[in-house]
Amino acid sequence: MQATTTTKDYKQQLAKLQPLIALFVLCAIISLLSDKFLTVTNVWNVMRQISVNICISTGMTLVVLMAGIDLSVGSILALGGAITAGLLKNGVEFSSFNLYMGFTILGACLAGILVGSVLGWFNGWTITRFKVPPFVATLAMLTIARGLTMLWTKGFPITGLERNFSYLGTGWFLGIPLPVWISGVVVIAAILVTNKTKIGRYIYAIGGNENAARLSGININRVKIAVYTIAGALAAVGGLIVTSRLDAAQPNAGVGYELDSIAAVVIGGTSLSGGRGTILGTVLGAVIIGVLNNGLVLLNVSPFWQQVVKGLVILAAVIIDKANNKGE
Amino acid sequence: MGKSVLKYAIAAIVFILVAYKSVYFKKLDEVKAEQSAKTFDAAKYAENFWTKKLTPGLHNAVDIDTLIPMLSSNPRQAFDKYSHALGIGNLRYFLIQGKGNVKAIGEDDITLSITRLPDQKIKIATLFIFGNAVRDASGMVNINDFNNTMDFNNVSAEINKIIRVKVLPVVKQLKVGDDVTFTSAIELNKAHLNLSQIEAIPVAVQTIH
Repeated sequence: MQATTTTKDYKQQLAKLQPLIALFVLCAIISLLSDKFLTVTNVWNVMRQISVNICISTGMTLVVLMAGIDLSVGSILALGGAITAGLLKNGVEFSSFNLYMGFTILGACLAGILVGSVLGWFNGWTITRFKVPPFVATLAMLTIARGLTMLWTKGFPITGLERNFSYLGTGWFLGIPLPVWISGVVVIAAILVTNKTKIGRYIYAIGGNENAARLSGININRVKIAVYTIAGALAAVGGLIVTSRLDAAQPNAGVGYELDSIAAVVIGGTSLSGGRGTILGTVLGAVIIGVLNNGLVLLNVSPFWQQVVKGLVILAAVIIDKANNKGE
Repeated sequence: MGKSVLKYAIAAIVFILVAYKSVYFKKLDEVKAEQSAKTFDAAKYAENFWTKKLTPGLHNAVDIDTLIPMLSSNPRQAFDKYSHALGIGNLRYFLIQGKGNVKAIGEDDITLSITRLPDQKIKIATLFIFGNAVRDASGMVNINDFNNTMDFNNVSAEINKIIRVKVLPVVKQLKVGDDVTFTSAIELNKAHLNLSQIEAIPVAVQTIH
């Protein structure tokens, strides 16, 4: 009996370490094949790139922990970035009053995040109020937010932004790129929320067994709406970083980001059926996806094969996860 | 009661502070006047570039009689010495000049054979005048002088408009057998050099009588 328990514990520990082991193996293989991989410049470059996915995936993890899904994060990212860029560049005109309301960088960023939050809230509201499956509700939002982005930008990139704004995506602070700081703050906040707050425990409870959570007095609808709102806000934060890095808001920014985000969550060990997973696991998943993307580019792998490889990695992660949790 | 009032008071102060740091107000007509003064006029820039920089400097274009043999014998030197480009890619641009004879007139180009290199053909575009060939081949427009890439690209669009208005009417009057002098911008791929299909955007073309 004792031996069986020990073996089970050992297996569980090993399962937790799998993403980390995968990352080390991946880094070792790529660094053997490309001498450019383990250079300081490339490492910071990868970190900058994954910081966007980390922001989105952190929100996605909270959603998936509740057994939900959010397919709209890529579109919300685009709209958040576009709103910020548009307000920063053009402000708001009140012709009747001969009044112009300009936005500072802070104001424009907050407005972008606010719009992301509102769309996230709307996701949560439709899911809880009308019992629409999260997949469908957020799929609808994917189209709505993309359409709104096209309307706001008129289909053209918004360029010529204030020079200081690009600091957000390209600047450094204490020798570390600013996007890495931003994603770091997001991750730490999310870890604190999931581990140290009531809402964090509610999220796990809802994902583990929604009925049991309801019967134990948790206001499920309120928690769900809050989590989708946070996911929307974090997608918009990702949009700020992307817009700042490009020094332009592209109407088609963030296309397919939801898939990279879900991939990071799944590879990081979060169960798609909810109730199990960690933010740190997702960060590892995002790093694996980022390293994989970077490695495939450095190794001159065709972009078409890159997609195939990424798909296979995600599939392998899910199969391994299933195998680990057989019998649970 | 007292605690919750304090909470709301702090929240209100934070909100007011953030709002104060987030937005500012101006008179709309003043802003519009500022904006119109700041707006980059690509057409004006292109016109100035064409008349004050490009046209007076056309004699600096590399002679095609020099360039083609050098591209065949020592392409690296030819690219280093005569080409311009913005990035680090393989596509490079040359501003060339030379003399030729009109061999064929197509729907969207005119084929010239080079007078001193009769086997060398070059196609002068007469319909599709797009891209950045002239701007980049000149080597006289610096991207760092522009606030954003859209302004920079609009310069190309305006230069192409000038070519359509000022140069193409002359090119379109050419007939098979005409001898001409020409100055054109061409794009060549450093990694996959193909001299048998040179396509040029005309900058100046004159018939030799």
